Amino acid sequence: MTELSPNAVELRAVSKVYGASTAVREVSMEIPRGAFVTILGPSGCGKSTLLRMISGFVTPSSGDVLIDGVSVVGAAPYERDTAMVFQDYALFPHRTVAQNLAFGLRMRKVAKAEIERRVEAMLELVNLSGFGDRRVSQMSGGQAQRVALGRALIVRPAVLLLDEPLGALDLKLRRQMQAELKTIHRDLGLTFVAVTHDQDEALTLSDRIAVMNGGALEQFDTPENLYRRPATRFVADFVGNANLLEARLGADGRVEAQGLPLALFLTPAQRGGRAAGAAVALVVRPETIAVGAAAPESHDGRVEARVEEIMFSGANQQIVGRLPDGRRLTAHQSAALPAPERGANAVFSWPSQSVWLVDA
Amino acid sequence: MAMPGSPRRRTSLTALLPTAGLLPLVLWQIVFFVVPVALIVGLSVWRRENYRLIPDFTFNNYAAILARPAIWRALLLSAETAAFVTVVCAVLAYPVAYFIAKKAGRWRGLLLVAVIAPFWVSIVMRVAAWRLLLGERGVINQMIMALGLTDEPLSFLLYSPVSTAIGLIYAYLPLYVLPLYAAISNIHDSWIDAAMDLNASPARTFFEVILPLSAPGLVVGAVFCFVFGLGEFVTPALLGGGKQLMFSQVIQDEFQRRLDWPSGAAMAVVLLVLVFASLALSMKWIRRASGEAA
Amino acid sequence: MNRLSFGWALPTYSVVLYAFLYLPIVVIVLFAFDAKSIPGLPLEGFTTDWFAASLGDARLVGSLLTSIRLALLAAVLSTALAMPAAMVLAWRPVRMKSLVLCLVLGPVVLPQLVLGLGLVVLFRAAPDLVGQPAIVLAHTTMTSSYATLMLYSRFLGFRRSYIEAAMNLGANEFVTFREIILPLIAPALIAVLLLAFTDAFGEFVVAWFLAGFTETLPIAIWTSLRQVISPKIYALSAVVILVTLAVSVSAQIWILGQSRRESEP
Ligand SMILES: Nc1ncnc2c1ncn2[C@@H]1O[C@H](COP(=O)(O)OP(=O)(O)OP(=O)(O)O)[C@@H](O)[C@H]1O
Ligand SMILES: [Mg+2]
Repeated sequence: MTELSPNAVELRAVSKVYGASTAVREVSMEIPRGAFVTILGPSGCGKSTLLRMISGFVTPSSGDVLIDGVSVVGAAPYERDTAMVFQDYALFPHRTVAQNLAFGLRMRKVAKAEIERRVEAMLELVNLSGFGDRRVSQMSGGQAQRVALGRALIVRPAVLLLDEPLGALDLKLRRQMQAELKTIHRDLGLTFVAVTHDQDEALTLSDRIAVMNGGALEQFDTPENLYRRPATRFVADFVGNANLLEARLGADGRVEAQGLPLALFLTPAQRGGRAAGAAVALVVRPETIAVGAAAPESHDGRVEARVEEIMFSGANQQIVGRLPDGRRLTAHQSAALPAPERGANAVFSWPSQSVWLVDA
Repeated sequence: MAMPGSPRRRTSLTALLPTAGLLPLVLWQIVFFVVPVALIVGLSVWRRENYRLIPDFTFNNYAAILARPAIWRALLLSAETAAFVTVVCAVLAYPVAYFIAKKAGRWRGLLLVAVIAPFWVSIVMRVAAWRLLLGERGVINQMIMALGLTDEPLSFLLYSPVSTAIGLIYAYLPLYVLPLYAAISNIHDSWIDAAMDLNASPARTFFEVILPLSAPGLVVGAVFCFVFGLGEFVTPALLGGGKQLMFSQVIQDEFQRRLDWPSGAAMAVVLLVLVFASLALSMKWIRRASGEAA
Repeated sequence: MNRLSFGWALPTYSVVLYAFLYLPIVVIVLFAFDAKSIPGLPLEGFTTDWFAASLGDARLVGSLLTSIRLALLAAVLSTALAMPAAMVLAWRPVRMKSLVLCLVLGPVVLPQLVLGLGLVVLFRAAPDLVGQPAIVLAHTTMTSSYATLMLYSRFLGFRRSYIEAAMNLGANEFVTFREIILPLIAPALIAVLLLAFTDAFGEFVVAWFLAGFTETLPIAIWTSLRQVISPKIYALSAVVILVTLAVSVSAQIWILGQSRRESEP
């Protein structure tokens, strides 16, 4: 593989319009070879449509799709080097497990002996050795999932597409399959593009996450950046929990949070080149907030609020405070710390370097 | 692993597939269904002179047939018979459909199939069997006489509108059970339970919950029973005797014995109008029964 | 358990109704075995002579064979027409779909008498076809409607992701059809073939109009119904009816079982 583009998949201003509604709006994205990318977003935001434009089941209304640096717009699904794991697995019910695995290789006219060898190896890889002759209807949910994965992996596609691959599994099996997926991805070095609306799954699995909203790409970044430096208010709200406080940038690098006595000084990176006077929302993650009678020395953001609710969840406690103007503030802290008294006033505080700004 | 082949080839090929799939059937139906119907409609405005067909555009055939009292009698008899058969079928079919849908448990599939199976037996054989049953020396008369209920055989059983009605009820009962079964099995048991739980008596539960919810099935079954009944030919021809003719018999007579094709065609068009009017009036219900409201 | 319950009334009524539905069939079978030459009660004695007699009646057997041959042709033709059309209707956006559906399903609601007469007029243009070809053409028109309807609902229930999975793994349209679609719908296809055959085999009115000198079994029975009926007609009918019942019941149970299996995940 020489002289290939470094990107397994490249989307250039791809849109899909259905009649009056736009399912995908001008999405551009570069997916490096070997990456594990997750497309994350609420229901109906266009995730599946985007994936199906890569696999060839949906033709983009405009824009270009490149696989291995070659435009594939207009190419049939069977002419593309992609393989897909379907949400309902779509295992052929009239074929055995081994025949399902062999299907893609047969279509590629691989020699019989070679097919047998690779099917055996794949059965082993997905932990199903000895299950080759079973009917697919005899497989459990988790096993069927692994057959579906194996059937797509066995053709060693340029990009493996997974549409909510773990959606049908219960929570425990899901966690286990997530770990297996991650291992397989690392061992095989293939490019994975998965769709999910489970943000935990996205955060644990992927190198990069594409957050979509209403057909548009909001942010395409590493999980850590997505969490610490969300590009938009939607991302800040959608990924993890966030307190969003309306605020205005002051001239001297301070923040005026609408009547709150905040004395935050932000770095230029945090300000993101915004001019003084810009309307912003302050993103304060709950776990960065400390609650107590007084603020720790290093916490320069502090407000006083009435403690309204305290909820224990084992290792952590969630404390909801109400600000004098009626807004709420949520803090997560270790349950080992002393809890404030419900109804009493407490100081909620956080360090200014943990704060992020998004446009209001 | 760049993919070979030119992408453009596919777009033209797949664009052709739907047309290629539909075309044979559509053409076939145009030639052997639309054209014959159009021919009948066309013939109905021709005229006949000395046993020869003359192209024309006249409504005289319609005026002539509508002036014949015998036509109105036959039309009325057909409509009455079809309506009677429809009502009886509804009443007979409903409890069975309810039983299969709600009470039959794991036998429901088999019982449903068993209801429909006689429908597949050739109509001629079914009618032949009814002649054995209903004739003056037929099974039913001989049983009634053996039981001493009557000395004389009941002669009105065969070759009368009664036997036609019996034959039609027998023929259409399976057709009525089918939509009723579909409608009733869509009624959740929990809705029935909820009504009873709210202290509705079984009768009120039936009239306020079950019956309204099975209305689509009732209407669809009724439409098909009535429409088929209006145009039915074999059963009245073999069971009805020759004295009181149904509309379809008059049409056939006009065509094949009197050889007056334009008049016969005009009658056939009247039948078609009645059939399609019935269908159009109930289209809303047919749509609902076929699951569009779900 | 406070479910609406009718105790014994409902099952008892159902038994009576099933008896009504099968009474004519039982009567035919009964008289086929009775020794009397003019059927009637009381039964005289058990014999299988009538079966032998009907097999010895060249005209009757000839009409049976004609019916089988013509129905076979109509069944194959109508299934071949219906399958691609049902596939397109179920899976592709079709312009003027309701018009196409009306066209395809019209023969179901059209009175058979009118279709028969219309075809008589049509075949005036091609008198050579009157007889066996005309019967096959007419029956194909009628059964292809039912066949399309049944296959249409089968294809609607077909999981699209099977097809997408196959294409995704490198199978083109034709390979996908051969390897995935055809094996999965084969049972439905066979059931539709059987039902189309049964329907065409038993159809009388239209065949009668178009028959010319051809005699199908229903036409032969119709003709004999005008005279005193020999029990050999009942003997042959009994056999045909029992075969018909067996075929249609198994075809429908097959369809039922198939749709049940599909709806399971
Ligand atoms: N074939 C189609 N015709 C018309 N609209 C469509 C079609 N397919 C998708 N849409 C619309 O496009 C939008 C995006 O759909 P898509 O399936 O991509 O969402 P999604 O993000 O995968 O949602 P989910 O999480 O629920 O699977 C939706 O509003 C949907 O209604
Ligand atoms: Mg989706």
